[in-house]
Amino acid sequence: MDLAKRNTLNWIGLTFTLFPALVLMGMFMRAIQAERLSSAQGWFYPIMTLHGIGMAGLWWVAALACASRVLAKYTNPSEKISRFAIYGTVMGVLLLFACVFLGRFAAGWYFLYPLPFKGNWPAWSSITFLLSLTVLGSTWLVWTLDLLLSIARKYSLSEALGWHYIRGKTSPEVPPVVLITTVSLIAGVACLLSGVIVLVLYFYELLAHVNNDALLMKNLTFFFGHLLVNLSLYLAVGVIYDVFPHYTGRPWKSNKVVAIAWNAVLAIVIFAYFHHLYMDFAQPTSFQYIGQIASYMSSIPSAVVTVFGAMALVYRAPVKWNLGFSLLFLGMLGWGIGGIGAVIDSTIAVNSKFHNTLWVPAHFHTYMIEGLVLMVLGYFYHYCQEKAQITENLKLQKITIALFLIGGYGFLLMFYLSGARSVPRRFALYPSELSHGVFYSQISLFFISLFLLGLILYLVETGRRWKKAYAR
Amino acid sequence: MRVLIIILIALSYAKSWSQESMEGAAQLFQQRCTACHTVGEGDRTGPDLLNVTQHREEGWLIRWIMGPDKMLAEKDPLAMELFKKYKMVPMPNMGVTEAQAKLLIAYIAQKSSAEPQVESSVSKPASSSAPTSEWLGTTQFLAFIIFLILSLIVTYSFWRVARSTGDPVPIIDMKAAYALRKKLFLGASLVVGGTMMATLPFTPYPVDLRTPDQLIYVAANQFSFTYSSEPITSVEDMGSIPTIGSLEIPQGALVEFRVTSLDVTHAFAIFDPHGSVLAQTQAMPGYVNRLRVKFTEPGHYNVLCFEYCGVAHHLMRTAFVVK
Repeated sequence: MDLAKRNTLNWIGLTFTLFPALVLMGMFMRAIQAERLSSAQGWFYPIMTLHGIGMAGLWWVAALACASRVLAKYTNPSEKISRFAIYGTVMGVLLLFACVFLGRFAAGWYFLYPLPFKGNWPAWSSITFLLSLTVLGSTWLVWTLDLLLSIARKYSLSEALGWHYIRGKTSPEVPPVVLITTVSLIAGVACLLSGVIVLVLYFYELLAHVNNDALLMKNLTFFFGHLLVNLSLYLAVGVIYDVFPHYTGRPWKSNKVVAIAWNAVLAIVIFAYFHHLYMDFAQPTSFQYIGQIASYMSSIPSAVVTVFGAMALVYRAPVKWNLGFSLLFLGMLGWGIGGIGAVIDSTIAVNSKFHNTLWVPAHFHTYMIEGLVLMVLGYFYHYCQEKAQITENLKLQKITIALFLIGGYGFLLMFYLSGARSVPRRFALYPSELSHGVFYSQISLFFISLFLLGLILYLVETGRRWKKAYAR
Repeated sequence: MRVLIIILIALSYAKSWSQESMEGAAQLFQQRCTACHTVGEGDRTGPDLLNVTQHREEGWLIRWIMGPDKMLAEKDPLAMELFKKYKMVPMPNMGVTEAQAKLLIAYIAQKSSAEPQVESSVSKPASSSAPTSEWLGTTQFLAFIIFLILSLIVTYSFWRVARSTGDPVPIIDMKAAYALRKKLFLGASLVVGGTMMATLPFTPYPVDLRTPDQLIYVAANQFSFTYSSEPITSVEDMGSIPTIGSLEIPQGALVEFRVTSLDVTHAFAIFDPHGSVLAQTQAMPGYVNRLRVKFTEPGHYNVLCFEYCGVAHHLMRTAFVVK
């Protein structure tokens, strides 16, 4: 088996192992909030930390794995670096498990400064956590740079960013996935460098006993965290640009509008993270306004160009609605709905009521589990099916999709309702005046069980294909 | 009998009964206990402590206050009973010294004697001091409705497109599609731009120069809030700067809260008397955030920590009254 295929199948295998475990951790947290597992509440915050960083990291590498595979049709990324990234990711995950399960490290996935140093967990677990992030961050940075290098070997920067389209030229032809991946990876390098700076400052404080500035650390942390999640989505959208034509029989090419839209995204996305700091009144007010303007502006290129383009491609096309295409299509819907929730929350006047309520996990879970996750799972199915060529059971696949939709959106609605009714996020147990939070948690347990059932069916369907592809 | 016990406790802690010490005890109770307990206002996460000094042996109480985790680990029968009764939420070790534990016991005894006594020792349900959320705030309601409407429009569009594939054609009229995209772009730009212009003036940042009717300093630390009329900038200030144990705000007053943190990042989130978030700001070490709120409605306002700050984050709270 060639290394490229082995790497992709390994990334898929890693995702299929970690994702169900992380979903179960999410259910565990909701069960505690639902007062069904109150006795385990001491584990709520450590598991919350692992669930958060696990999901953010997993879907970043899964999206990168998809982008890398599609990019390999046009460029020549190093498969050895991809294999190195798998080893680095596994090592980082093992370190994370150690600090959470053995040390009960519980500073949350964005480990807001200076909480890692001021929790009731042992110092070694904080250091292990920081080491884990160092391993993961440096591995992903190397992988990101290699993918960019593979693009640079074939295209100049202006070509890869489609500037010749903006100038009115049509050659050389640059596939949209190259353009979007270039945009995402340039921002990705900035994102990972920001994470590296945060880690360096943490280690500096640890070694030199010099306090860092809390506001600076917060800006760097959210620049890293916000971009990591946002760019994961863009990478998956880039893959959709490449896979949709396979199902619709219609080409989806770069042009002036696509180039303008994605260059605008690059300019806008790096300023949107300011919306995470709206409630830090010490932050310069101009930054807060920039945060809202950038967050609002970012919705236009994605909605008008990408979603509209995808819809035009599918409209009255002779599509076979198998599991792969259905999930890719529905992933776009989840991205759109999650985006609406995000833009509403990025309104400063609204954020003062919604900040750190369950509205926040509501919208980011929407564009994660009903957006990015469906897109990536759709591509993984598409890839495995292409390699395995197993007859498709469309009826079973429809049931899988229905469970993903009913379970997922039912679960999300409980988050939205809780957020609108001021239930805070990251509360292991709710005080008596917020007892409706317990009620919504109980209902969400039912819905997430349906989602989990859908995931099991998906894993059976795709797992068979993955196994056959591996054997070939 | 009850009076006799109170007198005995009072005598045993004679020093603590000075006005100054009791203020310190009230402050200590506010910092370490009010997140989970009241004296005579009903159960919270933990039991109402009204008359607890009469029901429990003093030595046991001191050991429990100082090391609840240790007593649970030792499976102390009474500790285990409480643990089971209160939804298996263990009382956290708040780092209380023996002298502080005695001070707290004296404070609870004194406060119990001042409270009107109830007939039975059965826990009261959560009192009016902890109102349940009755409805959505106006902003929350509008945001939720707008979200639902827009989400339904997007879902309907996707559904229409998905259904159209049942009647396929080789190519579609791209000219018409581009014309529609142009309309969509203009429409989306108008909606986005219009909403931005309409909402940007309504930010919570204190830009006006009016002198507030009341200035309150808030110091947050794991896992309590402390009100004061002078700034508290370090843990050492806690003992020297007078704090406000029970905060009352006149109705209609414009209040400026100057919020900071003495350890990690917290958030000061004020809930209105109906249980909806009214306003909030972060509490950051090394920075002061100025939160201005005009209180037009009388009632009990709960305050919760809205930034994850450690394992007892969900217990960090305070309150004040507007009248």
